[in-house]
Amino acid sequence: MSVLSQLNVIQVSGLTKRVSTLEGSLTILSDINFSVKSGESVAIVGASGSGKSTLLSLLAGLDVASQGDVHLDGEALSTLDEEARAQVRAEKIGFVFQSFMLVQSLTALENVMLPAELAGDHDAKAQAIELLEKVGLSHRLEHYPSQLSGGEQQRVAIARAFIGSPKILFADEPSANLDSKNGHLIEKLLFDLNKQNGTTLVLVTHDEQLAKQCQRIIHIEGGQLEKISEGAAVNVG
Amino acid sequence: MWVKLAFKLFSREFRRGELTIIFAAIALAVLTVFSLSAITERIGLNIAQKSSDFIAADRRLSSNHAFDPQLLTKANELGLKTAKVLYFDSMLFANDELVLGSVKAGTNTYPLKGKLTIKDSLTSQAYEVATGPKAGSIWLSEGLFYTLNVKVGDNVELGAGVFNVSKVLVKEPDAPFFSLSGNKRVLLSYEDIPVTKAVQAGSRVFHRLLFSGNEQQLSGYYAWLKPQLKSNQNWEGIKDRQSPLGNNLDRAERFLLLAGLFGIMLAAVAMAVSAKRYCERQYDPVAMMKTLGGSRRVIRNIFLLHLSLVTGFSIIAGLLIGFILQTIGADYLANFMGTELPQAGMRPWLLSGFIGLICALMFSLKPLLDLFDIPPLRVLRRNLGDTIALSRLHLVLSFLTIFVLMWLFSGEIVTTLILFASTLLVIAVLYGISRLLFAAGRSLGLRPGSSWSLAIATLQKRANANAIQLISFALAIKLMLFLVVLKNDIITDWQMQVPPNAPNMFIINISEQEVDPITQFFTDNNIAHEAFYPVFSGRVDAVNGEEFARSVSKQEGEEKDEDAKEGVNREPNLTWLESLPEGNEITEGRWFTDGGTGGDEIEVSVFDGWRETLGLKLGDTITLLVNEQPIEAKVTSFRSVDWGTLKPNFVMILSPNMAGKIPVTYFSAAKLQDKHTKDISHLLQRYPTISMIDIKSQIEQAQSIIAQVSLAIGFVLSIVLISGALVLISQVQASLAERMEEVVILRTLGAKGRLIKLATLYEFMLLGAISGLVAAIVSDVALLVIQQQLFSVEGRMHPYIWLLGPLSGAIFVSAIGYFMVASTMRQNTQGLLRKIA
Repeated sequence: MSVLSQLNVIQVSGLTKRVSTLEGSLTILSDINFSVKSGESVAIVGASGSGKSTLLSLLAGLDVASQGDVHLDGEALSTLDEEARAQVRAEKIGFVFQSFMLVQSLTALENVMLPAELAGDHDAKAQAIELLEKVGLSHRLEHYPSQLSGGEQQRVAIARAFIGSPKILFADEPSANLDSKNGHLIEKLLFDLNKQNGTTLVLVTHDEQLAKQCQRIIHIEGGQLEKISEGAAVNVG
Repeated sequence: MWVKLAFKLFSREFRRGELTIIFAAIALAVLTVFSLSAITERIGLNIAQKSSDFIAADRRLSSNHAFDPQLLTKANELGLKTAKVLYFDSMLFANDELVLGSVKAGTNTYPLKGKLTIKDSLTSQAYEVATGPKAGSIWLSEGLFYTLNVKVGDNVELGAGVFNVSKVLVKEPDAPFFSLSGNKRVLLSYEDIPVTKAVQAGSRVFHRLLFSGNEQQLSGYYAWLKPQLKSNQNWEGIKDRQSPLGNNLDRAERFLLLAGLFGIMLAAVAMAVSAKRYCERQYDPVAMMKTLGGSRRVIRNIFLLHLSLVTGFSIIAGLLIGFILQTIGADYLANFMGTELPQAGMRPWLLSGFIGLICALMFSLKPLLDLFDIPPLRVLRRNLGDTIALSRLHLVLSFLTIFVLMWLFSGEIVTTLILFASTLLVIAVLYGISRLLFAAGRSLGLRPGSSWSLAIATLQKRANANAIQLISFALAIKLMLFLVVLKNDIITDWQMQVPPNAPNMFIINISEQEVDPITQFFTDNNIAHEAFYPVFSGRVDAVNGEEFARSVSKQEGEEKDEDAKEGVNREPNLTWLESLPEGNEITEGRWFTDGGTGGDEIEVSVFDGWRETLGLKLGDTITLLVNEQPIEAKVTSFRSVDWGTLKPNFVMILSPNMAGKIPVTYFSAAKLQDKHTKDISHLLQRYPTISMIDIKSQIEQAQSIIAQVSLAIGFVLSIVLISGALVLISQVQASLAERMEEVVILRTLGAKGRLIKLATLYEFMLLGAISGLVAAIVSDVALLVIQQQLFSVEGRMHPYIWLLGPLSGAIFVSAIGYFMVASTMRQNTQGLLRKIA
């Protein structure tokens, strides 16, 4: 493995995703190639149905490619089974979703601790509290998701994404379900924490303004990589 | 590692109420099975005890010949309690009056079961004692006091001995229910038999050995006895098929069994629904955990631990609630019956615990496996995994489980099959109907914006989910209707057997000349009475000219109808009649031509039970010995006899053209009241040869047992109804939770609460009515089969449930739906939106 590819925390080569439908095989993503360096922030943009969410699911190992491969921190996802991919996610990946995806029966603090606990780490409480303080929710530790506003729920989700200090953070339309004020707050938090932790950020959005805050923007159109452009952010890597 | 997380999740889920339905369903299954099986077992034990009372023992061995003493020695060795009883007829003499009495002599252990009822004098109160008279004294039945003109304390001669009359014998536990020996009964000590010198070689006597002990001792003894049983010896258990109460109690037991089966089915439906629903609600958390890197093993362990915990807790809760329920129920029953119900053994505990475990395992397993298969991608694609909910494997597994549970509980494959098949029929019919209906509904073209059109649209949109709901509603309604109708039928049937104006006194030994004056007496005193039957005793001597006694083979098996065999050896009561008596039905052949009054050929109609024993077929000629005079009769029909009626039944009925060929006495029955006592004693003095058999106590006993068992049935029915109602509630709740999203969207879009509530009301009303109608139809068909197969009563249709089913279904289901959706409507829309987010 070359030094260059070691620096590329995500390496995507010839990535294709096909699904079978009643009318036959449908290609959702076709021959996608790009790489993301460690600590870099990348936005994946495209219209609805362009295939950006599918790309995210392949990058995170939530789904498997029909062709091509994703190397995540040096590991080829195509060679791993579901269990091993879960292990990779547990060790290296954090997530923020559009619909927050908090476990309703756990408190804010417990939701943040969940990834650590699933990985067998039961001493994550201090880190979880610290993260919740960073997202401004130190007064909401024992609240359940249903007792929190949408913005607060997404802040819990962000705190959860950073627990265990993941190398890569995937965010799927993180502010789409929020009003603009809360949306901006969330975006700011995400980028701030990303900088503080030196995490690689891959962000799926259709919001051009949000995308521009990243260092690079990958444009997906009709399942194909249209272009990669520079964002407004300064390279911190 | 994962255990802490699992417990944390469990306690939270529990507090949030996510596990409540699954918990309630398992607990319901356990408590239903526990309380029903415990009550059934306790009543069953009580019934067995009472039945034992009827034969004064658990088993008895009867013969016309003396027994080998070895038989008693062996029984005592095995730890059985034993008693010897000897029956014979002997002359009694006192105050220049001579009368033939039916004597029973028992050892000091007689009766082994039940009590003797006696009075200190003719006018004093009756009370119960455990043993018979001491040597030297005898007890006489009331009739003998009048005939012999004696009172307590006088001496009477019995055979060659002189005895002191010490008590009035009111009732023996094993007294024959209907016997021509009448009320001239004598009880004395076995030790006194030699004193009477009445039993000599060649005397007509009847020997009985009584045994009591536990089932193991009894079956051990029977195993030893069976190979050496002689054809003139008759082993009899507590299942006395000709006891009028036996049939009723048997039906009651069957009802309780059915109720238990229904309870299990209902709980299983609740369990299946709630397990599926619980697992579906866990799809998102599982997908999330997988996304966050949770391994399959950890997730599996977490949910298996949840299932184990919820199963454990709910079984314990079910057992506790079940125990409390059955204790309250049994206490109430025992109070009402004025007896104590014996405690149930371990079976209800083990059975209900086991059934709870099986329910939890079998109904949750497939949904849980599906849950583990939820792809992590669901976090991005929200509908992934929704389609795997209802698999064929799950259906097959669920049906198989219900079948095995029913079989396990009942131990009866036929009952289980009938119920199971009828349930499958409901499901098939309903599935078909729902598909058709929801498809056809599309073309109805109702006005948009109306509650009805919204209701129909919702029904169509959720055709699949509705089909499942329809099925579970209908199942619950079917089971409830079924039990309600069966209960009514059984109880009506019983009450018909003992109508309020049923005769309470049999009058026997009436000579032909006495018929007219006695009829006059009844008319004068305004006493309701039945017709006078000619009665005579006869012995079957030959069939088609072949002497009969040697052609009867010995019957094997303890449970066979031993009464029938005994009947062959004894001289049964016979009659001639012009028409078929009530409660009898021709099973083969035809009733006498012209009522059997014409022609010379004598015809005979034979009770089915005797047909096999005697090896008879239509057209055979039977030779009866009546007073040593042979009478030949041709078998022209076989009859079934309802031994459940409190009326005299005859194993053979001859054609009336034999009148005048033999001397007969007449029999009648009358309804007497206390005010008639004096007139009756006048009558008895005027016609001293007639005898009265007081069956008031038997009728009262029958009525009280019917009342007790009806109450028990009512109690059990209410448990099953509560289970059914809970199933319906949980179903409506589950379905409402599923349509919460729609309600919220409609609400958000500004739909009026009234529109939503009415739409829900109509939708559930339609669902309830359709379910109720199908349930009623299938119940009625299944009832026809069940009544004939299991309850030996004539199956009949019940048009009222065709209305009751849909009506109660519509009202109940829509009411629950309405109130639940109404409570949702009271919350503000923002709160609702957050709930479904």
